[in-house]
Amino acid sequence: MLIIELAGVRIRIENKYPFVEQQCRDYLAEGEDFSFSVAVSDEEIALEKGDGAFSEGYCESICVYRHICEELPRYRVFLMHSSILEVDGYAYAFAAKSGVGKSTHTALWLKNIPNARVLNGDKPLLRLEEDGSLTAFGTPWNGKENWGENRSAPLAAICFLERGEVNEIRSAAEDEVLSRLVHQLYLRGDRDSVILRLQLLDAMLRAVPFYVLHCNISDEAALVAYRAMKKN
Amino acid sequence: MRIKSDFTIQKVGGAYVAVPVGESSRHFHGMVRLNESGAFVWGLMAEKDCSEEELVDAILARYEVEREVAAADVSRVLAVLREHQILV
Repeated sequence: MLIIELAGVRIRIENKYPFVEQQCRDYLAEGEDFSFSVAVSDEEIALEKGDGAFSEGYCESICVYRHICEELPRYRVFLMHSSILEVDGYAYAFAAKSGVGKSTHTALWLKNIPNARVLNGDKPLLRLEEDGSLTAFGTPWNGKENWGENRSAPLAAICFLERGEVNEIRSAAEDEVLSRLVHQLYLRGDRDSVILRLQLLDAMLRAVPFYVLHCNISDEAALVAYRAMKKN
Repeated sequence: MRIKSDFTIQKVGGAYVAVPVGESSRHFHGMVRLNESGAFVWGLMAEKDCSEEELVDAILARYEVEREVAAADVSRVLAVLREHQILV
């Protein structure tokens, strides 16, 4: 059993396998109190494992995060499937369909944008603040490249990636943002939780500018994106 | 006909978004977007069984539009809801 802090929320994990403890070592919280607790049943772990080659511990960890993300909207925190980079104190999110090249583009930022670092390469959390802004948080669930840190930064912009011959970035209209976002947000769960997430989505549309980047895998792709999205 | 009980609708940005909760979310992963009159029709069918004619009448009572326009509106919304198997 361990208590971690994610996006300012203290969560107790009642784990059966050591994997998740190792994974969460940078997120351990001091003290005994917590906002909610998660536990995963053997049945869920078996279902997650299926015929796959992943260990029970790994599958437990996947289920733990799923449960956490179902609870977090009550604390105005939600998962956005994306890669989030931090540059000079601001966070920039990239979302893409699987296989489009989120990791490749993230690597291009690391190579070409001074001071760029990855907050979370796959499953970061966003918190809606009282003033309507969003803050991005790293989490122990980082994706297969395992890029991430226990840090946070105000979110400056969100960009949807598409492959293209040339590098072009444009603003995204609300309609388009909605249909793209629905693929990146975790909109399942019980009614109250889904309603909360839709309310967060509504606030999210107003919180930051959204862009669509058509890009190739050249260094210029990162520069074109950063120039347009850069805060100030 | 009426809306399956395991859907919810919320205003998101300038539109209304309906998504499944509970059982329906297992086989329906997207969302349905509706404009204001679409959301109005949804609201009626979420409360009770309605015929197509009742829905058209309700639109006419609320909005100043021709019957043909209201009927076309309702028909369009119903087609979307049927397509996604949201009606029972």
